[in-house]
Amino acid sequence: MQLVFEEVSYAYASLTETKKPKKSRRFFGKKKEEQAAAEKPAWGNDPAEKYALHQVSLQLNEGDFLGICGHTGSGKSTLIQHMNGLLTPTEGRVLLDGRDLSNKDAQKECRGMVGVVFQYPEHQLFAQSVYDDVAFGPRNLGLSEDEIDARVRKALADVRLDFDTISPVSPFELSGGQQRRVAFAGVLAMQPRILVLDEPAAGLDPAARSSFLSLIKELHEQGLTVVMVSHSMEDLAQLCSRIIVLNQGRVFAQGTPEQVFSDAEGLKSIGLDVPAAQRVANKLRARGIALPGTLYSSAEQLSADVAKLYRELHGEDAGMDAANQIAAGKQPLAASQAATGGAGKQPLADGAGETAPGNQAESAKNNSAINSNESLA
Amino acid sequence: MGKMVFGRYYPGSSLVHDMDARAKLSIMFFYMVAVLCCANPYALGACVAFTFAFYLAARIPARVAVGAVLPLSFIVVLAMLANLLFIQQGTVYADWGFFKITEGGVYQCFFMGIRLSMLLFGACLVTLTTTTLDITDAFEAILKPFARFGVPAHELSMIMGIALRFLPQFMEELAYTRSAQLSRGARLSEGSASERVGALKALFIPLFASVFRHAETLAGAMDARCYHGGPGRGRLHPLSYSWRDAAGVVAFLLMVAAIVACNLAL
Repeated sequence: MQLVFEEVSYAYASLTETKKPKKSRRFFGKKKEEQAAAEKPAWGNDPAEKYALHQVSLQLNEGDFLGICGHTGSGKSTLIQHMNGLLTPTEGRVLLDGRDLSNKDAQKECRGMVGVVFQYPEHQLFAQSVYDDVAFGPRNLGLSEDEIDARVRKALADVRLDFDTISPVSPFELSGGQQRRVAFAGVLAMQPRILVLDEPAAGLDPAARSSFLSLIKELHEQGLTVVMVSHSMEDLAQLCSRIIVLNQGRVFAQGTPEQVFSDAEGLKSIGLDVPAAQRVANKLRARGIALPGTLYSSAEQLSADVAKLYRELHGEDAGMDAANQIAAGKQPLAASQAATGGAGKQPLADGAGETAPGNQAESAKNNSAINSNESLA
Repeated sequence: MGKMVFGRYYPGSSLVHDMDARAKLSIMFFYMVAVLCCANPYALGACVAFTFAFYLAARIPARVAVGAVLPLSFIVVLAMLANLLFIQQGTVYADWGFFKITEGGVYQCFFMGIRLSMLLFGACLVTLTTTTLDITDAFEAILKPFARFGVPAHELSMIMGIALRFLPQFMEELAYTRSAQLSRGARLSEGSASERVGALKALFIPLFASVFRHAETLAGAMDARCYHGGPGRGRLHPLSYSWRDAAGVVAFLLMVAAIVACNLAL
């Protein structure tokens, strides 16, 4: 199972059509600058922009967990609609196991292999019962009733819903989180080999969100190839084996999360960011703290490393002392001075204001380390 | 996505864009009457010339204008075919028994085709150059005199405004649902009739659900802003006439004069 994009471009309008306005511009005697000013809106995408995707090349292998991120309107949704032939490229090819998806038969076959879960999939529920809704996909595949029944049971179990209680209920009576699970089950019941998810956790509360993401992680561990579009850099950093960053329809960066998130400035320039913990880690490094990790996707990871560093510098108890004093409500600066003093590293005669330059630098380090500890707490 | 839809606003600034919506709506109404009063090809020719001039004044590219009318062109084509096949007078060009293509048929076919196209182009010019908000305001202003006879002018125009506003939204959602159901293997354009009806259900039930969802949120949002349609409601942008409206009326009267002249002279 392999999905390959070869220099895929997708244009909104046919390319010959977009040439015409030039003619009319002359015809109506409009000034060029005026026209240009009228075409460039203050917000949103430039309507004169021809391509939604431009020369996108990528390869999806069996077992991958590919993350896609990008600013709103960067072409993420257009990209995933190419993955099961809902859209076909204006230029270039999309190959699924070597078969070109611009072919109608290939398109039909790939619908069973590539399952796309759109954004807010619960809005696509329609059947009278949960059972019928989940069975819609398998029925379209022309399977036998026994097979359909087995698949519906498995899909509902996969999304951790109880078959007996939920299958006769109308999907419109469920809660939002449950509806999304049912819609998700509707795609899983097709038993795709590649699962494409467009912002699967959008609009869910934190608990539903984390359980949904762990569900996806589990499915991936069971051998499903997953493509996930997300705005959450944390989710992408934690789950994906590879990330593609899109900007204005072009591939801006592609690689492992470590590679992609190492370029914090570049991501910022296109309106994205690195995970929050990584952002803090970058700031700490800029202030001279040698953090060992390459990518911090969660606060826990970062705080563990910071605490470890701190203990290496000041012995086993120092970290606890500082933490206790912060908990007691003291200022971080005072806490750091007290901590360095308390650790007995400086001679008693040396006041806090008269420390040697080397010690000062160290104290600054401690200070920032504690600051970060506090902000993470 | 980038397609023109019938009734979509084409942003810009021109003589026609800046006219008062009430004037545009009224002129459009009389324009339609005038088009239907064209009795001979010369009058219709004058009509075409003036419509073309109006589009020039509105600075709307031909591509956009044609794109706006195209979705409804099937009406024109149907009317043309009906005229071509059923009107039988004069020289016979082709004869298939019941259907005959005759000189009168061909003449009527083109006459009707052009006349209907002009009606469509005229209606489109208003929607292309006027925001839906302005159209509904103008609609309300025009209905206002009938309020004393119990016509709920404000409510009607509010309903119309909301309906117009949500059309593109629902089109988009329909396209989205279509993609989603196609991904689940729905057969929308093939298979037996019953299969297709089943697939259509998968399209329209989510759409209706979404209509109710939108209606509820919108009602909530209007309540939150203390909306009431009753008296004493002010306006952010009051409608006002300007010299452009006078110019528009003059141009339209010139067209009427040309049509009347052609009708009488020939």
